[in-house]
Amino acid sequence: MKRTLDRTLTSFIAALRNADVRVSPAETLDAMGALELVGYRDRAFLKDSLALVLPKTAAETETFDATFDQFFAFEDPQPKADAQGAQGEGDDAGDGQGEGRGEGEGGGGKGQGGGKRSKFAAFQDAEEEEELGPGEMASPRSTLGRLLMDASVVELTVRMAEAAREAKLEEIRVFTQKGLYTRKIMDAMGLAELTREILDLRASAGVRERRLGQELGKRRDALRERVRDYVEQQFLLHADVTGRRLREELLQKVKLSNVEQRNFRLIGEIVMRMAKKLVALHSRRRKVFKRGQLNVPRTLRHNMSYDGSLFDLHWKSVKVDRPKVFAICDVSGSVASYARFMLMFLYSLEEVMPKVRAFAFSSDLAEVTELFERNRLEDAIAKTLRDYSGGSTDYGQAFADFRKRCMDDVDNRTTIVILGDARNNYGDPRTDILKEMYDRAKRVLWLNPEPRSTWHTGDAEMRKYTAYVHQALECNSLSHLNRVVGGLLRAAT
Amino acid sequence: MADDIGRLAASVDTLTESFEAHRYICSNRIATAVYLAYHLRKPVLIEGPPGVGKTELAKTTADMFDLPLIRLQCYEGLDEAKAIYEWKYGKQLLYTQVLKETLDEVLQGAQGFAESVARLHEFGDIFFSEEFLEPRPLLKALREEHGCVLLIDEVDKSDHEFESLLLEILSDFQVSIPEIGTVKARREPPIVFLTSNNTRELSDALKRRCLHLYIPFPDAELEQRIIHARVPDIPAELRRQLVAFIQDLRDLDLKKVPAISETIDWARTLLLLHTESLDADLVRETLNVILKFQEDIENVDVEIAALTSKAVRQ
Repeated sequence: MKRTLDRTLTSFIAALRNADVRVSPAETLDAMGALELVGYRDRAFLKDSLALVLPKTAAETETFDATFDQFFAFEDPQPKADAQGAQGEGDDAGDGQGEGRGEGEGGGGKGQGGGKRSKFAAFQDAEEEEELGPGEMASPRSTLGRLLMDASVVELTVRMAEAAREAKLEEIRVFTQKGLYTRKIMDAMGLAELTREILDLRASAGVRERRLGQELGKRRDALRERVRDYVEQQFLLHADVTGRRLREELLQKVKLSNVEQRNFRLIGEIVMRMAKKLVALHSRRRKVFKRGQLNVPRTLRHNMSYDGSLFDLHWKSVKVDRPKVFAICDVSGSVASYARFMLMFLYSLEEVMPKVRAFAFSSDLAEVTELFERNRLEDAIAKTLRDYSGGSTDYGQAFADFRKRCMDDVDNRTTIVILGDARNNYGDPRTDILKEMYDRAKRVLWLNPEPRSTWHTGDAEMRKYTAYVHQALECNSLSHLNRVVGGLLRAAT
Repeated sequence: MADDIGRLAASVDTLTESFEAHRYICSNRIATAVYLAYHLRKPVLIEGPPGVGKTELAKTTADMFDLPLIRLQCYEGLDEAKAIYEWKYGKQLLYTQVLKETLDEVLQGAQGFAESVARLHEFGDIFFSEEFLEPRPLLKALREEHGCVLLIDEVDKSDHEFESLLLEILSDFQVSIPEIGTVKARREPPIVFLTSNNTRELSDALKRRCLHLYIPFPDAELEQRIIHARVPDIPAELRRQLVAFIQDLRDLDLKKVPAISETIDWARTLLLLHTESLDADLVRETLNVILKFQEDIENVDVEIAALTSKAVRQ
């Protein structure tokens, strides 16, 4: 019993992981410890306890609460089964075989199967249903029959969960599989044997046997209903997210200009998550600097081995080195959607890159840093694109503006990221200014959303520009962006 | 004493009751956290907005179990020398001096270099013994004979390195001192509470070792009970009004939302002023008790009349 309960816990944890709550094996062990202490009896108590052990942030706690309610949503099935029996008298004789076939064909076939069944049931009704009244019943022979007649709700539920595992229910992916899995679970619980027994019982002469046959039929249908509910729940828990995960994976690779409007929100979330990972990776970079206040205890201690002569000095101040990034984004029509996601990325990294200055241009360059400080990320991006994306692209003008405004702020700790397709409409490319930036800054990166093969076609000035940047990269998907920004942070120290 | 604690921590209900007896009104989840912390011997990481009683929970627990409370306030730059242990450098230097002067006596009769060194070695170890060890809060907590409540306050203010330093003590209730060895908790390991205001994300390693308790702002009903416990003299009607007012205030866009501690302060203030019922002028005059930013006070000022009448009417 205990092992099966533990398995219930593990599948609950799998569901949690699906819902983006990170649960490590260590926490799983903790949860089992808590479970041993608390037990399954008091649902609210169990929920509170697991809520303390498994989720680790406020947001995760919320997800946990929802998932818990959904996962442990077993109502007390006995009264429900009775109600089912009373109201579904006519349904009673529904033959497992016929229905199973109907459902096996998937969601589409369901209605058809149902129709067949009701006709069939009506036929059987007239034929077989007889008023036997309450009274003694024979005892069932089949395993499932005994379980249905004698076992408690919990035992039945546990048996069902076991059968679901045998049927590999956690692998359910699309909703048309629901019927199939219901059938598989019923089979695993011993439906065939039960059906045979019911047929035998109904055909037998004794009233007690026939009564049992009827009762078993009712309970079998109630059970099927429950299994179907269970499959439905598990589908929501397991498959829903897999679909989403699949979509996220696709979105990471898809070209950003092809992303549809309705996926922007999801992309925003992915960017946030990627940014968070980068923050976690890079926020620990610290350098101990050789100046400032003397750390006396540490110095004394480290110099003990030199007989107390203080020559290996240790200092108190610890300095965090953070990159200074200037982002210059072409926001003209062709590149705007890339600019949107790069800006989103850069500004999601505030914790590790607090000194981002952003510039947008199509012909004239403008600084949008302040816009981003004052508005929400999405609003700022929308405003930037609205205000600056008109006009034909002029890189020469943009560079000239940049020199006028803030060339003085570029120092040897600055990284300049230029995002654009370098299509200059045959204007003056002003490579001299780019060279000046190249000389002053620590690094100049050029991100081009076009594939490398088209870099040198038409009005593109990429060949000239490439000479004056440290690195020119193709960048047109989220995974590209992630790599670029990760590189930015790595190079910061 | 341990029996006492065992009796109190027997179930969540007894814990809740006993918290209430100590004038700390808590939700079921909070009581469950303490229950699990005691039985599973795990530290509790408490998060939540400032002023919802995170630190208070640790204090009350210490009070309730009649255990000493050892508190470590975290800040940027906190290191092992201030948190775990430090050598008494002055004393060590002094003893070195003494040893130097008596070196002749010590080495008297020693034959050959090897024996001299062996004799000196006997002293060497003394310098890094418990004698010269200055225990700081964490070590102190481990050495408490009958257990204690250890409060590591505002752990998010400390550095990443310090967080890693905590891991050993949080998972195994022990610290390793290179020169001495591992110091394990005495018979009863401490009950550990960590609080965080979420100024930065804590590392996964730390979170993994703790139970995670999030204390949100209480709902109206719970807050009324808290006020009742903390300011018992306040009339019921006024209590209802002021809680309703604060609850509405929390929905506004404020720089610093009033927390439970502010509600309690306000209740005390109103009691002192012999208030019977809220009215707009009174609220305006006492607003600085609940709002701590001039900007917020100005923003709320226009809405006072509406909020007050709503709170009174309900």
